[in-house]
Amino acid sequence: MTAATTANETSATVLVVEDEVLIRMVISEYLRHCGYRVIEAASGDEALVVLQQPEINVDAVLSDVQMPGAIDGFALARWVRNNRPGLEVILVGSPTRAAEAAGDLCESGPTLSKPYDPQVVVNRIKVLLAQRKP
Amino acid sequence: MTDCVPADNPGEKLDPAAILVVEDEVLIRLMIAEELRAAGYVVLEAADTDEAMAVLQADAGIGLVFTDVRMPGVLDGLGLARWVRARMPHLKVIVASADQASLRGPGSWDAGMTKPYDIPGVLRCVRRLLGASGEP
Repeated sequence: MTAATTANETSATVLVVEDEVLIRMVISEYLRHCGYRVIEAASGDEALVVLQQPEINVDAVLSDVQMPGAIDGFALARWVRNNRPGLEVILVGSPTRAAEAAGDLCESGPTLSKPYDPQVVVNRIKVLLAQRKP
Repeated sequence: MTDCVPADNPGEKLDPAAILVVEDEVLIRLMIAEELRAAGYVVLEAADTDEAMAVLQADAGIGLVFTDVRMPGVLDGLGLARWVRARMPHLKVIVASADQASLRGPGSWDAGMTKPYDIPGVLRCVRRLLGASGEP
């Protein structure tokens, strides 16, 4: 698998935020297989708990747009933009318009549509992380 | 002190299997999951018992369920243990709680652990329950 081979060179940490457990499980396991350290959050609230821990390094956030609770993907992206500048956020949404709106919330506008294509996710993460390098 | 209560019926050897960690506190779930992964196990995560049942019903190759007792939702950890024992009796179950009294048996689990966790104790318990063929 090409993506797995190349991604093994990195130990970047991806925070996967998804309330549907079977989807979160599949995409998280795929990313781990590709060499990433993955932190799983089942909600926006859980994601915020993780992101507020200074000792936990996170290089990229992959978040569903629609989630139950007070913090959906939009709110999470807004929080990251205000509190963790430089941290990449990829929002994933089923409705195209929602994903486009999500792009407005992220400086680089990275969005993906559901259902997840794991290969596309990995490629997007690789591109974003590569862009961060000086 | 973490306590791994020996099971009365150690059970048969299992094939190499994944561990399902069920814990609603994300930082504790992360810590336990990463310690088990570092020991070589495949670890799946569930944030509550509803998620756990969804994963178990998906037949994700799980051999051991590691669940906190106190969790929100319809079932707590002990309820999940009973659910697993009734439907998937071949699976090993570890229940964990800060309240040692809640771990007094007999119950529908193979081992009980008190919180906060002693990681070496957790690993010994998992290794014992999964048996040699379940080694990572």
